[in-house]
Amino acid sequence: MSGRIQRLPSAHPTVALLARAAAILLALLTAGVILAANGADPLKLVAQVVKSTFGSRFGLEDVGLLVTPLILTGLSVAVGLRIGAWNIGAEGQFYAGAFAATGVALFVPAPDFVLLPLAFVAGGLGGMAWILVPTLARAYADVSELITTLLLNFVAVLLVYYVSTGPWLDPDGHALATTARLPCELPEFWGAVHWGFPLAVLLTVLVAAGLSFTRWGYEVRVSGSNPQAARYAGMPFRRHLILVMLLSGAIAGIAGMFEVVGTVHRLQGGISNNFGYLGIMVAVLARGSALGVLAGAALMGIILNSGIILQTQGLNVSTVLAITGLILFFTAIGDELSHYRFVRNETASV
Amino acid sequence: MDLITGLLQTSLLAGGVLALAALGEVLAERVGVVNLGVEGLMSLGAITAIATVVAHPNPALGFALALGVGLFAGMIFAVATVYIRANQVLCGLALTLMGTGLSATIGKAYSGMPAPATFAPVAVPYLSKIPVIGPAVFSQNVLIYLIYIILPLALHYLMFRTRHGLNLRAVGEDPAAADAAGIPVQRIRFWYVAAGSALASGAGAYLTLAFVPSWSEGVIAGRGWIAVALVIFGGYRPLNAVMVALLFGLITSLGFVGQARNWPIAAPILSMLPYLGTIALIIVPVLAWHKMRRLMAAPASLGLPYFRDVR
Repeated sequence: MSGRIQRLPSAHPTVALLARAAAILLALLTAGVILAANGADPLKLVAQVVKSTFGSRFGLEDVGLLVTPLILTGLSVAVGLRIGAWNIGAEGQFYAGAFAATGVALFVPAPDFVLLPLAFVAGGLGGMAWILVPTLARAYADVSELITTLLLNFVAVLLVYYVSTGPWLDPDGHALATTARLPCELPEFWGAVHWGFPLAVLLTVLVAAGLSFTRWGYEVRVSGSNPQAARYAGMPFRRHLILVMLLSGAIAGIAGMFEVVGTVHRLQGGISNNFGYLGIMVAVLARGSALGVLAGAALMGIILNSGIILQTQGLNVSTVLAITGLILFFTAIGDELSHYRFVRNETASV
Repeated sequence: MDLITGLLQTSLLAGGVLALAALGEVLAERVGVVNLGVEGLMSLGAITAIATVVAHPNPALGFALALGVGLFAGMIFAVATVYIRANQVLCGLALTLMGTGLSATIGKAYSGMPAPATFAPVAVPYLSKIPVIGPAVFSQNVLIYLIYIILPLALHYLMFRTRHGLNLRAVGEDPAAADAAGIPVQRIRFWYVAAGSALASGAGAYLTLAFVPSWSEGVIAGRGWIAVALVIFGGYRPLNAVMVALLFGLITSLGFVGQARNWPIAAPILSMLPYLGTIALIIVPVLAWHKMRRLMAAPASLGLPYFRDVR
């Protein structure tokens, strides 16, 4: 029964899926062990999370509110990855979209049915504007978009902090360090969950369909897996790259618009809850599939919500970030290991 | 004159954080591994240093423990990226998320507390009496000399003047050829990535022990990412990386001076300067000097895991 380990160029989908499940379980287990070592009772925490999340409608509504932006930031990163661009600036584009939508909502006097679409477009354009420089730098100067998109996150955070504590500060002084309450809001869809949720799902399905069933989508996918082959076949690689990256930014900007107009209703610092960074996680878990984005967003929404539920137990948003990192780490390892298989030697071997 | 002295002094202090982190990243990238975990490693180092000096008010001990924590975290990262050959970008982002999340969780107890012990400035006899540059350059803490003079010169000598340096650069350029020549590719990658991570963590410790002297959530504020960008801008060379870091220290300190002197620009806008400056400085040179591209190019196998059997 001798054999050897062989590395395959691409992993079998079932094996990859199993490796992912194992990675997530291992990461949560590791987190549980660390929490237990610090005096927490992980089983009790899990019971509390399950009860407060799935035991009541309010719990599910909370998760729905968190899942909405996660779907969009996840989609934003996933779209970029399709053409081989790492948009890790979804956080900044989220802020930029929220900023632009707030500007429209606060300063354009119009009825809701005009204002909401305007704010939507402004959110998309805001996100697009925020990724414009990294996009052009990547397309024309081959400057890595990894660093440029990420650094702009810090600029966007500072910008939102500046306007919400300075020029746009609530003039009535009802709340500190935020803008006034926006005059318009997204109507509710299911309980506290606003219409951003079905729209996010719809957008995901549309983008996925575009990538799977159109010529444009085909060319984008080819450009992503092998730019040289794409150029050789006469595909306009640069044009696709620019368009896809701008689309990626716009989606993240729309996430910011939904969050400020649908959930928070005021622009303030820290409005993003790290949604942009968690979107990277969602996209990686999704492995390029649209259904995967929805599933990944659901998982991250539950994990994020757990962190909020467990705040009284000494956990917080930072702990969630650390656990997310742990999941990402194990997923990366699992992804690589799922490329290997055991091959039995044939009897003919001497 | 007072302005120039202050500007120079703050520039050196602020640039030191970036310089130390960038030197660590140079080590990792020269052997072919992109470590995007710098931000997380710096957070870990910063909180380790603060937690240590709160327990034992000895800055050297805090710095040493931060180096140790960074080395350990770097070894975990290196096992994943070098031996298991997992995706370097993903593992780096994971390390950043884990590092910032974990240190923010631990740091709740230390938030806003000034560091009980710091690296105090030491005036060099005679030299510190030189007008203008004396107080700025020769009345600094001891780490400044390590970061700006000893470490970069030592690393430059090691990389470009020794046989071992040739080997480590070969590992980053063409690991298959290096392997064929009998150089232990994986072992060299592992140890340089781990050592680089230790320096990144040390940069975080330097931040909380000598520059900001206190911990608060988000105290690293993207300096890890700026350091990664500086390595590219510095052409993957230790001496260049340190000089570029000093330039960035200057940009940062312009913001401080602006706030102190009540320039009519809001503080958050001034704080954007280092990030916008970094973006400008990694885009402009590529457009401006095409001839520099080859000289300053990244190691040819940067970011690619090495499989001996798949060529």
